[in-house]
Amino acid sequence: MNRAAAAWRILAPLLPLAGLLLAGGCAGLQPVPLVALNQALEQEESSREPSLAGRWLALISARQGRDRVQLVDLDRGVQLPLPGLNRPDAQPLSVSVDVSGERLAVVRQLQGRTELVLYQRSLGNARPLPITPAGVPRRVHLRADGRQLAVEVSRNGLWQIDLISLP
Amino acid sequence: MAAGLGFRPRSTALLVSSLLALMVGGCSLGRVRQAPGTGPGSGNRIDPALSGDGRLLASVLERDGRARLILQDQPGGNLRPLRLRRREPHQSPALSWTGRYVAVLVQEGERRRVVIEDRLRGRLLRLPLQAGSQPERISLAADGSRLAVQMLRQGERRVQVFDLSGLLERDLPAGTAVQGGGPPP
Repeated sequence: MNRAAAAWRILAPLLPLAGLLLAGGCAGLQPVPLVALNQALEQEESSREPSLAGRWLALISARQGRDRVQLVDLDRGVQLPLPGLNRPDAQPLSVSVDVSGERLAVVRQLQGRTELVLYQRSLGNARPLPITPAGVPRRVHLRADGRQLAVEVSRNGLWQIDLISLP
Repeated sequence: MAAGLGFRPRSTALLVSSLLALMVGGCSLGRVRQAPGTGPGSGNRIDPALSGDGRLLASVLERDGRARLILQDQPGGNLRPLRLRRREPHQSPALSWTGRYVAVLVQEGERRRVVIEDRLRGRLLRLPLQAGSQPERISLAADGSRLAVQMLRQGERRVQVFDLSGLLERDLPAGTAVQGGGPPP
């Protein structure tokens, strides 16, 4: 009994410190939501297909019933214009951005076809990339340095992955 | 004229168009190749993700009723071991710059969860996310500092972004200067 009391006298002052350590440890194990950004994204009708690279977030969001590609600068909390990319007759399916925010790879449906395009922001230019041998692209991933694409392609009833080097 | 040179007009047109296609294709982009194989037997290869340095390719292989994450060297195709072997189907893998971190959606009972494997330290990190939401797609920033998650909640799809800087050491390209570490000598 005396031993227990003595141990308690030693440990009791340490309890608040242990509590702080535990709380700090638990807090450190949680992913922390970017509240302002997430609230801004809540304003869209929907958002999907996120792609993070460096300070950039690319995604597909819906507004007034129309899907479009968005690019957000996470450091400044602003959305950037993408002139020449979001056509009213196109339906984006997948998007991926590089770490410089200069290149975006997009799979989209346009005039009944599904195509892969590479958009260069500084040029405001979306250039179709041919799929060879022919196939239907679905999901694309742009390497962080923007120098290679991996794209999911359907051929002869099977999904395959093509790797495309970019100049 | 073409006939006089021994070519049929249709063959000439075909030849010219082929040459043009080759020239245009050659000028507009580099080499196109298929991802390295995964051994005998066929299956769907989906959800590709490249490491920032391009040395690793993650994808999901659908074969024999399973959907499992595989990690391969580039360009050789050798398979790299992963601790993430169970809790299938796997979905939506993402890699950090060197491939130290592999993030993927796994199935645990009726719930899908985000798990990040730290290949350097050999540990798995399960990320608790908002209850009542099902994660569908993820994207990991190349340095591992942020994670974007597409969630399905009450029939609506929303992207949410999380800061992971308290969870993961940054995975940066070799030679990148970092701040901190005390005053210069």
